[in-house]
Amino acid sequence: MTESLNVTVDRRDGLAVIYTEGYINNQGGEEIARAAYDLLDGGYRVLLLNLGGTKIVNSIGISILIEIIEKMIEVGGKMGFCCLTPTIEKTFQIMGLAQYAPIYPDESTAVTQLRP
Amino acid sequence: MNRPPSPNSGPDAGAAASGILSWPSPQTWTELLALLQEEAGDRAFLERAVELWRQVQGADAAALYLDKGGFLEREAAAGQPLPEALESSSVPSRLGSLPLPGGRLLFAPQTLAVADGPSASVAGAIVALLASALKGCRLKQELKEQQFQVNYRVVELEALYDVGLAVTATLDLDRLSEEILLRAASLLDARRGALYILENGRYRCTQTFGGEAADSFSVDNPELRLFLTSGGPAPENLLPGARYLLGTPVEVENGPRGLLAVGDKESRRGVGPFPASDRRTLALFANQAAIALENARLHLEALDKERLEREMQLAAEIQRRILPKGAPQIPGLQLIGWNRPARQVGGDYYDLFHMGEDRVGLVVGDVSGKGIPAALMVSTLHSALRLLLDHNELGPSLLELLNRHIMDSSTPNKFITMVLGELDLRTGVLRYLNAGHNPGLVLRRDGTVEEMGAGGLPLGLLPAARFQAADIFLGPGDLLCLYSDGITECESLDGGEFGMGRLIDLLREHRDKPLTEVLETIQVVTGRFSEGLPQGDDQTVVMARRE
Repeated sequence: MTESLNVTVDRRDGLAVIYTEGYINNQGGEEIARAAYDLLDGGYRVLLLNLGGTKIVNSIGISILIEIIEKMIEVGGKMGFCCLTPTIEKTFQIMGLAQYAPIYPDESTAVTQLRP
Repeated sequence: MNRPPSPNSGPDAGAAASGILSWPSPQTWTELLALLQEEAGDRAFLERAVELWRQVQGADAAALYLDKGGFLEREAAAGQPLPEALESSSVPSRLGSLPLPGGRLLFAPQTLAVADGPSASVAGAIVALLASALKGCRLKQELKEQQFQVNYRVVELEALYDVGLAVTATLDLDRLSEEILLRAASLLDARRGALYILENGRYRCTQTFGGEAADSFSVDNPELRLFLTSGGPAPENLLPGARYLLGTPVEVENGPRGLLAVGDKESRRGVGPFPASDRRTLALFANQAAIALENARLHLEALDKERLEREMQLAAEIQRRILPKGAPQIPGLQLIGWNRPARQVGGDYYDLFHMGEDRVGLVVGDVSGKGIPAALMVSTLHSALRLLLDHNELGPSLLELLNRHIMDSSTPNKFITMVLGELDLRTGVLRYLNAGHNPGLVLRRDGTVEEMGAGGLPLGLLPAARFQAADIFLGPGDLLCLYSDGITECESLDGGEFGMGRLIDLLREHRDKPLTEVLETIQVVTGRFSEGLPQGDDQTVVMARRE
């Protein structure tokens, strides 16, 4: 298993999907934050994080995701998650992320629900 | 948090006219104080206030930092960019620094244009507001962090609980190992990790995370033992490249089952050592993991046992099909055969078959060993013998061909003893060959006994083995008995052997009774002789009597 995180971005009409593959830790979280803030700077206000390629997230990664959610709220945007492992979904529920960024079972449902 | 500089307006026109660098208008103050009242206006207030302060002081850049344990994180900034975050002990000398409760205001240039007078007083007022707001920020931040920690403790407890249940979700040891390692690394914010399972006195690495790990360690490795028990230095190659390591044994009631090691605890500033509380968390986690791993292992063992049992049942069924279902019905001849394996499948073999109109074939064989390997040899013997009998007369050459076939298809330590006979029903002559088997017995009507001696080595011992055929006459009422050593060598509790003498006595006593009764007597008497002991060897009996 690798510790690094690969991030790819799919920009669509009014919505951007960030795909992750690997460990969402300090470095991985910063990668996601960088991608998210670039998208915000580019005018995107709806972000979907597809974590289908991620099996593990630690507390540092979670704190960075919370910061991204806070930033999205601050700018009046929307954010959601999809394709989470049961463990990560449970963690996000407990940590309160799901309260501000809904969790969807799959990408198509998420896109339908989040699209402005 | 990374914030872009606030695009605030420039100096107030009135202030510029009065000769002061910047002088906030009453409206500016009103707006600023309104932000302070807003529920979510903290950040906007800080950014506006920092911008005002920068303008009043004529600074090129200003930024407000929250001190998080010696690490300054930027909360608001104005003017030229300043670092997002920096160590409080390494503020660049080009920057001025104004300490505030719980944080700092950094600015450039270091020497401000306005040091005293009305502007300085205004700046002082803004700083006072900033200090108050920063205190509020800090309290909110602390509250948020505490809430985060409380929630994360719940995540830890859930993880401990979940790992205990994981065995119900997966019976795959590899997947379970991965799950355990990922959860341990996640819980402890570790960047590296490895799980080892104890096998034959060595810890063998089954899962790694974030990099390489040593393949295995001896369970007696003193450095490893010290590392696990008292937190001594880890063996250098445990997680190569990791600076900080933490490990714990994975133990069940009857001893160690493995070890769990993690490396390099993460923080926002990099990696560091694991605190003492993490050792306790990891140990608790390892306890749960041990139960899950042990349950999975036992479950897999049970599955293996069940599969083996099914295979044995199948093998036993195959063997039952190899052995005759009953004796052929031949006028003028009583014939019976019986076999009872010591295990589910056995290495004894017998067969009774027509060899043309007036002849009948009788075979009793015994493969060395027991269980599946012996049963496989029985299958080989049966097929080969039947094929050879289709194309060869019963005689030494047949056994020589059979011997070579057995040599080619068996392991060196396997051999077969066998007695093979062909009874001519018209003449009563039994032609037989004995390859190292117990001598067959012929009980004459007058009670005398003749033994059918050996005529060669067991099959499968020597490639060039030679065999001899012999004839013996079977008169009306004479009883022929072929048997395996499971009959004559069955033991009693005191270690005595049943022996051929007892068998002969028994046959002599019952030689006139129907063969089914004679066989039943052999079963009962040998069973009584070995009472209290498990059957030690396969038992086979074939009997024939001319009428």
